[in-house]
Amino acid sequence: MADVVFDQASRIYTAGAKPAVDRLDLTVSDGEFVVLVGPSGSGKSTALRMLAGLEEIDGGSIRIDGENMVGVSSKDRDIAMVFQNYALYPNKTVGENMAFPLKMAGVEKSARAEKVREAAAILGLTDYLDRKPRALSGGQRQRVAMGRAIVREPRVFLMDEPLSNLDAKMRVSTRTEIAALQRRLGVTTVYVTHDQVEAMTMGDRVALLADGKLQQFATPADLYDRPANAFVAGFIGSPAMNLFTVPLTERGVRLAGHELALPRDVRATLGTHQITEVTLGIRPEQWTVTDSGTEGIPARVDVVEELGSDAFLYGTLAESTGDLSDDSAVLTGSGQDAVVVRTGGRSGTRRGDRIALTPSVEGLHLFHPESGERL
Amino acid sequence: MTAATASGTTTSPNAAAPVPRRTGRGSGALLTVLAWIVGIGFFFPVLWMVLTAFKTEADAYTDPPTLFFAPTLDNFVEVFAGGVGPYLLNSLFATVVSTLLVLLLGTPAAFALSLRPVKKTQDVLFFFISTKMLPVVAAIVPIYVVVNYMGALDNIWTLIVLYTAMNLPIAVWMMRSFFLEVPRELLEAASMDGASLGRSLREVVLPIVSPGMAATALICMIFSWNEFFFAVNLTASRAATVPVYLVGFITSEGLYFASLCAAATVAALPVVIAGWIAQNKLVQGLSFGAVK
Amino acid sequence: MTVTEATPQAPPERPAERGNARKEGWIRRAPLLPALIFTIIVTQLPFLVTIWYSLQSWNLVRPGSQRFVGLENYATVFTDSQFRGVALNSIILTLGAVFIAMILGLAIALLLNRAFVGRGIVRTLIITPFLITPVAGALLWKTVMFDPTYGLVNFVLGPFGADQTDWISTFPRAAVIVALVWQWTPFMMLLILAGLGSQPAEVLEAARMDGANGFAVFREVTLPHLRRFIELGVVLGAIYLVNTFDTIYMMTQGGPGTASANLPFYIYQRAFLGFDIGESAAMGVVTVVATIIVATLALRLIFRSFSAAEEA
Repeated sequence: MADVVFDQASRIYTAGAKPAVDRLDLTVSDGEFVVLVGPSGSGKSTALRMLAGLEEIDGGSIRIDGENMVGVSSKDRDIAMVFQNYALYPNKTVGENMAFPLKMAGVEKSARAEKVREAAAILGLTDYLDRKPRALSGGQRQRVAMGRAIVREPRVFLMDEPLSNLDAKMRVSTRTEIAALQRRLGVTTVYVTHDQVEAMTMGDRVALLADGKLQQFATPADLYDRPANAFVAGFIGSPAMNLFTVPLTERGVRLAGHELALPRDVRATLGTHQITEVTLGIRPEQWTVTDSGTEGIPARVDVVEELGSDAFLYGTLAESTGDLSDDSAVLTGSGQDAVVVRTGGRSGTRRGDRIALTPSVEGLHLFHPESGERL
Repeated sequence: MTAATASGTTTSPNAAAPVPRRTGRGSGALLTVLAWIVGIGFFFPVLWMVLTAFKTEADAYTDPPTLFFAPTLDNFVEVFAGGVGPYLLNSLFATVVSTLLVLLLGTPAAFALSLRPVKKTQDVLFFFISTKMLPVVAAIVPIYVVVNYMGALDNIWTLIVLYTAMNLPIAVWMMRSFFLEVPRELLEAASMDGASLGRSLREVVLPIVSPGMAATALICMIFSWNEFFFAVNLTASRAATVPVYLVGFITSEGLYFASLCAAATVAALPVVIAGWIAQNKLVQGLSFGAVK
Repeated sequence: MTVTEATPQAPPERPAERGNARKEGWIRRAPLLPALIFTIIVTQLPFLVTIWYSLQSWNLVRPGSQRFVGLENYATVFTDSQFRGVALNSIILTLGAVFIAMILGLAIALLLNRAFVGRGIVRTLIITPFLITPVAGALLWKTVMFDPTYGLVNFVLGPFGADQTDWISTFPRAAVIVALVWQWTPFMMLLILAGLGSQPAEVLEAARMDGANGFAVFREVTLPHLRRFIELGVVLGAIYLVNTFDTIYMMTQGGPGTASANLPFYIYQRAFLGFDIGESAAMGVVTVVATIIVATLALRLIFRSFSAAEEA
């Protein structure tokens, strides 16, 4: 049981080049499940491997339970890791794989067997203890890797995209199992993934990294409701938040020629920044869809993704209904006027339909047009 | 994310099992017959050698050649009575000891060129391979002079040293390619599990690379056993190996096909068997690991 | 079939820890050094000595004859018409054997690259000539196969009027090439088989979907894929074969005269039968220089094979 602190921790592969991890500050409390998430190349895996002792710490420090880990080799850190491809020892049986860390720790043979049996029971691997990894399915291998991590009751669990080699269905069920197991064992866990759904569903708190820098470290709800910048806003949520660069007006902002009024206090805040434009974010579910011609911004539906429980409309915004001539580009990706809207399932909306869209004022997120910071 | 991931996790099937495709039945049968004819054709001289070894000299010297005969072991008895024993022992000793030395020197070197690479890995590899490309004949004169000066002519240890040097580059390259097949994560996992480097090598890496090491050893043995140039130039009677023994059969003018074939069979049998066992890794060894 | 390679670079050092890094460097190097030093001493020093000897006039038969003569030996070597003939023989024997072995190897590999009854056995039979002790193999060809009276070759070719032909004295070079081709075709076949095996099945299927027939698939897809393996086979075969000694020693003794001698055999003759250390050393140096030219090409090819394999 331990807390983990990243204190200005950096990893620089080549002197002078951009750091892979840039002065990362992160405090993981005892027993907490923290997810590091970000696109590829964001430095999330590097950060995890620094904590594991598999990458050098080139600047700052990483502490486990207040103990500085700089210069401490992995084997002396008392942490366990689940690798993306599981890294099971191919020549050892499932039981031997799970017993290996105990053997290295000098645990006596009978005690080893006992612990392995317990872990195997938890993970439903009891019948497979004598098999070699290659005789197991992907999901079973994943559980062996988990088992190898939990038998020795380490101070910290590290998991590096442990679900990415599973099929979609397996991934969802294992996701829940891992989260439940972690709660039950109460071991501090740092989990790396590129999948924002995993991050949102599993983590007590989520740290979002991009370009080696921490973007935001918060609970999933906070991350979703109060993204710290436009990058976070765009990364978290599926489909992504609609982001428009829009001019400021007297009463608010102008989107596709339509003025959206903003509350007075918000306008006051914007006024202090000396900007004429702002990045406006609206989540897909924050729109109200009405019939064409009614109040709202005219839009044409280009694609409908019907999911049953709800549906996503991909459309184009316009100043007036007349601008939505049929031959105008569909899905040009020009960004500015493309919009995603979530509606209830089976709304009856079809491709080519004309609709009107009204964003809810509470659902508006405003970001600085250059720095991307939340305003 | 990681600067240098060099994990090769390709578990490709051996050269023995590419993706064979079945052809239509008629032409397929024809091609099968053709393949068998070619196979037997290539093997035929060897087969004929073995058959002749079991003939009497009278049966061996017939025109047309005899196919059916009463087999006899006389030739083998004669070969062993005629003193092939010491040559076989010399060959065996030189082969086994030099192969052990190769593994002893080559395994750590291959490790230092793969899993924990030194900075100039490419240069060192280049150097090793280049030694195999220089003609041995250009070195034989000074080697002879030095060995003569040291009084080490006709000494089996001279051959052992030379065979070790001859096989070391191939072994380093081969074993390096086997080491590279060990996923890097396995070593990382072992270190996370609390194993020291020595422990992880012994417990994790060794079991994985041991089939490759066995193949490497077999290939080194084949080369050492078959080596002739050094053996014929640097040994006389005491340290002479099996290939040198065979030379005796061309100098004696009265040819005895049957006993000659028996001797050649005895000489070739160990390496043929070793090669059959190692055949899947043979190309990997001879192409310095460039081809698997 | 990939060699994932990529020389993982050692991590960059932090200036503050240079002392540590140096120590770490030696720890990494330590396992390599015994093999490296051993190889340098045993394989490189003799070459340096060879260069030194090549500048001496030195015949073992005349003790005390050793003296420095500069490049005189080289002048002798280059004006020696026998040496030139032998050098030409070396090229003919090497290239002849390599190319014939490659063509046969390619054909046999294609023949074996399909599922059929006893495929493993046929493959094992074919590689046997490559495994068999070359001295024994050469002996076999000299006697059991090429013997004018009792040899199998004349028995088989008898109906075509080849009765009693003494192949080895009449066509010494061709006879040697036959033995070498027999020995090296299996190697080429194994190499090409490995190449065929590394070809992804999807690509072949895609080509068939695109309407290519069997021959077109071979020419447009398989052959370009095999190119790398063919090049490698030719180069490796040439490197191994240029050193051929045992086969010539056993079959022809370089004869008649020097008609079938190659450089290794000729140098051997000059050194161990003529005891002319200086001249044979000079020939050795010339051979090395020639080989380096070929070997540089070879090394580039092998390294390219590696990088190509990485991309795969």
